[in-house]
Amino acid sequence: MALQTTAAAVEPPIPGHARSLVARRALIYAVLAAVALLFFVPFLWSLVTSFKTIPDSVNVTAFPHPWTGAAWHDLWTNYSFPTYIKNSVFLAAAVVSCSLFISGLGGYAFARLRFPGRNLLFLLVLATLMVPDQLRLIPIFVMIVNWGLYGSFWGYIMINLVSATNLFFMRQYFLTIPKDFEEAAKLDGAGYFKTFWRVMLPLALPAMAALAILQFQGTWNDFFWPLILFGQGNPSHYTLQLGLQELHTQYTTLWPQIMAGSVIAILPILVIFLAFQRYFISGVVSAGVKG
Amino acid sequence: MAAVAEAARAPRTSMLGARLREAGWGYAFVLVPMAVFGLFFVYPFAYMLYISFHHWGILGNQGSAGWGNFGEVIHDPIYRTALKNIAEYAIGVVPLEMALGLSLALIVNAKIRGRNFFRSAFYFPSLASSVAITTIALYIFSYNGPFNHLFGLSTDWFGTASTDTWAIVGLNGWTTSGTVMLFYLAALQSIPTDVYEAAAVDNTTGWRTFWRITFPLLKPAHFFVLVVFGIGALKLFDQSYIVSGGTGGPDYSLYNPILYIYEDAFGPGAGAFGLAAAAGVIFFLLILALTLVQWLTIGRQER
Repeated sequence: MALQTTAAAVEPPIPGHARSLVARRALIYAVLAAVALLFFVPFLWSLVTSFKTIPDSVNVTAFPHPWTGAAWHDLWTNYSFPTYIKNSVFLAAAVVSCSLFISGLGGYAFARLRFPGRNLLFLLVLATLMVPDQLRLIPIFVMIVNWGLYGSFWGYIMINLVSATNLFFMRQYFLTIPKDFEEAAKLDGAGYFKTFWRVMLPLALPAMAALAILQFQGTWNDFFWPLILFGQGNPSHYTLQLGLQELHTQYTTLWPQIMAGSVIAILPILVIFLAFQRYFISGVVSAGVKG
Repeated sequence: MAAVAEAARAPRTSMLGARLREAGWGYAFVLVPMAVFGLFFVYPFAYMLYISFHHWGILGNQGSAGWGNFGEVIHDPIYRTALKNIAEYAIGVVPLEMALGLSLALIVNAKIRGRNFFRSAFYFPSLASSVAITTIALYIFSYNGPFNHLFGLSTDWFGTASTDTWAIVGLNGWTTSGTVMLFYLAALQSIPTDVYEAAAVDNTTGWRTFWRITFPLLKPAHFFVLVVFGIGALKLFDQSYIVSGGTGGPDYSLYNPILYIYEDAFGPGAGAFGLAAAAGVIFFLLILALTLVQWLTIGRQER
């Protein structure tokens, strides 16, 4: 998203006009500050509350009195949050790497290799976008149970190995890479897989990075599928989101602990977002709405 | 070009061989993705149809049910409540998302300092975990939470049947407005500037310029947001589940089509997979109809 940085044209000084401009500018900034506050306060409030004591957590005060790290300590020692975090990190890492490899492979083939039925197969991939992901719930659950994979991480990874959005995204990127690179590789005697692995995949690194970030965010935040696959009393497999939800359902008044859990759930995404903003924003606008 | 010339010179058989080889590698490359799509997207869809026509409990298939499951779902007053709730939610949340999204887009499209910062700040809630955002909202709007303290009220906004749907409307309107903002921003930036220059010559005020020029020119964006986020709204689940702790709220006030499917299958004493699958098929048909409307109308607008 390039911004037009054209400096405001130097206008002839008309005092009345200038004054109204200043007033308008001030108004815009006032509105902006108010709106920004509306977007920041909930997050700041949860952070502050996580350092409060339970009785203090219902008070509307900007600073805890007294400050305490008890809620954080509690999450670590009494509520198995380290396990939840570990599970979430594992699932996110596994899904991101599988998804990258598989959608890279498929995206390349659909973009560049010619084989009978290619367009039909690709249409089939796109057609799966018509079925809302959540509607897979019943059949997937029955299948996973029948295969003895219920309550196992493998079930979760399998059903999330690749998505139509990811495959489509990679295909579109491969279509933009000039063919010269492949032809050069072919002249050097590289086979199809080697051309893909050594030449095309490195060229598609920007797309892979964007995909990795978006997929990490999706898997880290995923609540629905962990709930279906691990949610029925299988706490050793809870993800962070599931553990946080369970904590709230069981102990509604432990606000400092619940807020500390929320901070942990949000923090990785915040850090990644601050570091890679442009990927997120271009990803949304180009790929349309996901889910 | 060089490749074509070379191919023309080469004997026919080797050209055929090269083509076969390319096709073989093509199939090999898409084998894994297509197997995944077949096994976890296409097959489950067919399986869902199959289950929906059977009496299917925790012990599995108990025999054919004909259209029985569908009849039972359609005549279930709880399913009607679920449909009514989701209609209320969608009618509430979509205009809110559009109004907030457009307002934010107008603000961050102005020539101001740090507008990139504000764009990011407004967009971030769309990316953060729905569980975390929802629990923060539950805290702020709880019976004795900060919001009620500040305004001297005592309503449990998310826990009362008359307010809970609207509380989720407010929450999700706030969360999603940043995404809607991005779409409006892209649309705003594609409006040619000479339109505004003409307005400036005519000495039209900012407010009138907006309603007379900007707003009508954004029609394709309005339509896109309305349809896409309208369909998105129908898939509500996370917030209803989290707010009600998986129960569907007091008096089924937080039931919606997806939660209905979930409760049929996993709710207390349930395991009614046949019913759940039938409810899924019905919901799919509903979404499909709306998606077709979207394709037909958006396609025509873009042409």
